[in-house]
Amino acid sequence: MAEPNIASVETEQGINTEEIKAILDDQQALMKLSLKVCAHCSLCAESCFLYTNTQDPKYMPSHKFINSIGRLYKKKGKIDRAGLEQIGDIVFNRCVLCTRCYCPFGIDIPKMIAVGRQICRSQGIFRQYDVK
Amino acid sequence: MYDLVRGPLVWVSLIVFIVGTVVQVIRFYSLSKKLGAPSLQVRVRPAKKNRVPIQSFDGAFHDWLSRVKLTILGISPVTIIISSVFHVCLFVTPIFLLGHNELFDLSWGFSLFSFSEAITDFLTQVLLLCAAFFLLRRIFQPRLRAISSPYDFLVLFLAVMPFLTGFLAYHHIFDYRTVMILHMLFGELMLMAIPFTKLTHMIFFFLNRFIIVNEHTIGKGTRVYT
Repeated sequence: MAEPNIASVETEQGINTEEIKAILDDQQALMKLSLKVCAHCSLCAESCFLYTNTQDPKYMPSHKFINSIGRLYKKKGKIDRAGLEQIGDIVFNRCVLCTRCYCPFGIDIPKMIAVGRQICRSQGIFRQYDVK
Repeated sequence: MYDLVRGPLVWVSLIVFIVGTVVQVIRFYSLSKKLGAPSLQVRVRPAKKNRVPIQSFDGAFHDWLSRVKLTILGISPVTIIISSVFHVCLFVTPIFLLGHNELFDLSWGFSLFSFSEAITDFLTQVLLLCAAFFLLRRIFQPRLRAISSPYDFLVLFLAVMPFLTGFLAYHHIFDYRTVMILHMLFGELMLMAIPFTKLTHMIFFFLNRFIIVNEHTIGKGTRVYT
């Protein structure tokens, strides 16, 4: 079930896996490299103000990109609407793209979240700012 | 088995490691481009005449300390210090080990300087303690559990086993020959794994932090990702 403020515009064709794969393939060199270099050290945690205020691991930048763009690459773009809505919740609700996050290995985390948002929007999943 | 790991497998692992590293570096350069004249200055240091003069040692020291507190050393001091010690031991121990240098001398007629075996034994034990800290951290800290998978434990195992088997061999714990074969095998596996697993952070730490321009570039960066 999508979060109430994540809009999910369904089309007759449903999720277009080819469209998702096209975006994934376009970005794959940098995205896959970033996913591989991530040492899962969690040192990025304190750089996200959402994590420092909640102490909830789901707000860690690494957790966010592993479970959004990482999940999309693992599934090679083959994801259902419910799964994409979960990813939409991560990239739209758990991140404001303030770019405060840092990584000791220099991984560009906001870029990965932005690509996640691009994929979600391409399938009609986006955040509604006038809904609580 | 001994002849295989002592001979051809050493070459295979070195070649895979070197070729893999070169491939990763080429990949980095193909994914990035030289930065033209930057439109925004990432970090600006005031001109010498505009800098605040040092009033006292105490003031200058506390200014420096305030800056350090904002770095990752200030935010996660225990992890960073243990990680730094671990990585120093990781590089120093095998390179300056007497046993390794003896083998180099036998094979190629030259070797590097060696520490005494007491020192390298101590460094190995320090490294194993640091690795134990990493393992416990990954098991017991919720923020690490949230992003960990068997892959992380496997890579830690792969990185630590050459040192653990080396320690066991040096102290003649278990059958020496078997432990030595395992030592060489794990060393070779670790070398081969470096370019293809998350151990590649060894290469990319330097590429990303020194060459790519961002808020946390060390020194002057010259490239950006395209």
